[in-house]
Amino acid sequence: MWVYEKRLQFPVNIKETNAKLAQAIISQYGGPDGEMGASMRYLSQRYAMPTKEAMAVLNDIGTEELGHLEIVGTIVYQLTKNLSMEEIKASGFDKYYVDHTVGIWPQAAGGVPFNACEFQSKGDPITDLYEDLAAEQKARSTYDNILRLCKDYPDVYEPIKFLRAREVVHFQRFGEALRLLVDKLDEKNFYAFNPSFDTAAPCVNKSSLHDC
Amino acid sequence: MHNAMNKHELFSMITKFSFMLDDIVLYLDTHPDCKEAIEAYNHYKMLRQEAICEYTKMYGPICKYNVDTDNCWDWINRPWPWEGACDC
Repeated sequence: MWVYEKRLQFPVNIKETNAKLAQAIISQYGGPDGEMGASMRYLSQRYAMPTKEAMAVLNDIGTEELGHLEIVGTIVYQLTKNLSMEEIKASGFDKYYVDHTVGIWPQAAGGVPFNACEFQSKGDPITDLYEDLAAEQKARSTYDNILRLCKDYPDVYEPIKFLRAREVVHFQRFGEALRLLVDKLDEKNFYAFNPSFDTAAPCVNKSSLHDC
Repeated sequence: MHNAMNKHELFSMITKFSFMLDDIVLYLDTHPDCKEAIEAYNHYKMLRQEAICEYTKMYGPICKYNVDTDNCWDWINRPWPWEGACDC
C-alpha cells in the first residue's frame, strides 16, 4: 500500500519557462528510459524475486522511481507554466500543445507515447536484474544528455543532477542484489535456469532461497 | 486497548482504520468544512496511530520511515504482502 507525502524528494523551483527544454525533459516522464517505465518495471518484477534482498531493493527503488516521476512531471509543469502563444509556436511546442495544451502526458521527446513494451517483467530474476542494471545506465545517459542541454539553467540543472546521481546508486544496489542472488545458486548453472520457476537444479527452490 | 489482540487481529485493525481514513479523506477533499467528518478523521487517525505503534513494536515495521533499528535492519526480514504469508 502506498501513502502520499506532500513533498518532492528533491525540491524544484523553476522561475523561467522554457518550452524547448520541457520537450526534451518529458522523455524522462514517459520516454523509453523514463521514470514511468522504471517504476512500473521494478514494481512489476518484484513479485518474481526469490530473495528477501532482491524483493526489498525492487520494492524500494520502484517506490523511489514514483517520486522521480513526480519530480520530472513538476519540472515539465513549471517549464511550461504560463507560456504565451508566441512562445508555444516559436519553440515547436505547438505539436504537443494541440493534443495536451500544457497538461503532463507520458511521451518520449520525439512524441512517441509511453508503452509498457519499454520494459520487461520476465519472471526470471537473473534476466530481470540484468535488465534493471541496463535500465539504470540508459537513464543515466539520458540525464547526461539533458544536463548538456540545460547547463545554463541552474533551476533545472540541480534536480536533473540529483536524478542522475540516483541512477548510479540504483545501479550499485541492483548489482548487489544480483550478486547476493547468484551467491545462492549453483555455480555450474548460474545462467542456465530460471531460479524462480525451474526445478532442474537442486538449489533453485524458491522457499529455500527465502529462508537463507 | 490492543493488548488482548493477536497479531492477525491487530493487523486487521490497521487495515480497517486506514481504509476509514482513506474514505474520510476523499470526503473531506470536497467537503473541507464538515465538522462531523473532521471529528471522524481525528478519531480514526488516533486509533490508526495506536495500532501501528503497537504492531511495529511487537511484530516489525510496515513503513520504511519507521523501522526500529535497535538490533538489525528489520525491513527486509518479514514477508511482503504479495507473498500471502503475512497478515495483510
